[in-house]
Amino acid sequence: MVIILNGSERRKHPDHFERLFRLRYRVFVKQRGWSLPAMNNREIDQYDDDDAVYFLDLDDEENIQGTVRMTPTVKSSLLADYFPHLVESGHSPRSQRIYEATRYIVLPSQKSREALRLAKGRLLTVLLEWCLDKRLSHLQTVIDAGTLSSFVEITQQTMPLGLPHPYGGGRGTPGGGECMAFRWPISLQVLDDVRAYAGLAGPMSRFGEFGRPDRGSPRAPLH
Amino acid sequence: MSFMGDEYGKRTLDFVQRIQGLTNYEEICPVIMQELAWFGFSCVTSFSIPGPGCHLKDSIWLNNRPAEYVDRYAEKNYVIHDPVLKELRRTMNPYSWGDIREGRDLKKSERTIIDEGREFGAYDGLVIPIVNLTGSISLFSPCGRDPDLSPRARAALEVIGIYSHHALTRALVRRQREEVVHTPLTPREREIMQWVAIGKTDEEIAGILSISMTTVTSHVENAKQKLDAFRRTYAVVQAIRLGEISL
Repeated sequence: MVIILNGSERRKHPDHFERLFRLRYRVFVKQRGWSLPAMNNREIDQYDDDDAVYFLDLDDEENIQGTVRMTPTVKSSLLADYFPHLVESGHSPRSQRIYEATRYIVLPSQKSREALRLAKGRLLTVLLEWCLDKRLSHLQTVIDAGTLSSFVEITQQTMPLGLPHPYGGGRGTPGGGECMAFRWPISLQVLDDVRAYAGLAGPMSRFGEFGRPDRGSPRAPLH
Repeated sequence: MSFMGDEYGKRTLDFVQRIQGLTNYEEICPVIMQELAWFGFSCVTSFSIPGPGCHLKDSIWLNNRPAEYVDRYAEKNYVIHDPVLKELRRTMNPYSWGDIREGRDLKKSERTIIDEGREFGAYDGLVIPIVNLTGSISLFSPCGRDPDLSPRARAALEVIGIYSHHALTRALVRRQREEVVHTPLTPREREIMQWVAIGKTDEEIAGILSISMTTVTSHVENAKQKLDAFRRTYAVVQAIRLGEISL
């Protein structure tokens, strides 16, 4: 089940956040060797504030199988702050209607390609449903260039903002790797593509009324 | 919006936009070739590494290397011996033939495989590995006499290769689906779809043909099923496409 938590709810859900920050430490600091601010085996940075929105895919034991953090680009954008050179298209990386996805992890309890697809599909579907509900125009993210193909395969609407650029290497990327930025337009088409990839016919979340064949346009926001 | 990057970035983002608008295989291919030509590539092969029991020739998405070359390549089973492909065991990042020639100690037989490209004017090439969501590996591999292999060109070609590969496979899968034989409509279904096509409602059609509306609806539903359509608009499009009705 995918739950959505606001950064302002950190006190209300201490267990979920504790697990999240520890998982992020394990994946990004220990495994990938990124140099990130870390304390007591938790990875928390300046974008983990009240405006951040967290998507957590939990298994029956409430272990996190997948997660992504969404931040409003007007205030918090990794792309604008650290990787502005990745935007070659001339688009502004900050906009009221654009959120940025960071700290993306998919780690299903069961290790198989199928489980990975399902976990990724669940997370991305709820993410898209939420974006439609928020009436966003785009979501954007910085990725390892090697993963571009997997996003293009999910939806043809994947728009690169520039070419891959080298970035300094952590332990996992000796001599450095290549990163780039892309955007997804927030549309029923992309939601359909993501659902098709996930093998889902219907909505995943309470936001998921969108894209049902009998609905022409999204209804008024729920909150 | 003003473009900020250099020519490599500009061309590539333009290319992505153009190819996103195309669904026809025949339209996609020349757009790819034209783009590659700007970088100095004259030929390209886009294919998936065949799985066990599958043949290379069945998994080529686009190829304009000469037929004799490809035939010999397949016949001699170069796919197993080609040092350029062996490199895939070490990396999934793009690399050039030159990287392999310079970076590895090659056997004479291995050098021969690379050098045979010269027969059709290909002295160097780039290999862009693509890992598909199913786990299979595809390669987008352009080559030419003296192609631009500068770091910026490689970054551009990586993006071009990925978008080309997915556009090609999407178009081919779509075409395959369309080639699937459909169950033909009955004369009555065809007649009714003809009325649907000019915008008549079931009620109107019932009046025209002096039959009940439920009968019309049931004919339309059957036709939709046969045409693999959820909606009547798409059913009409399919019926025209498949030659069941005409306008």
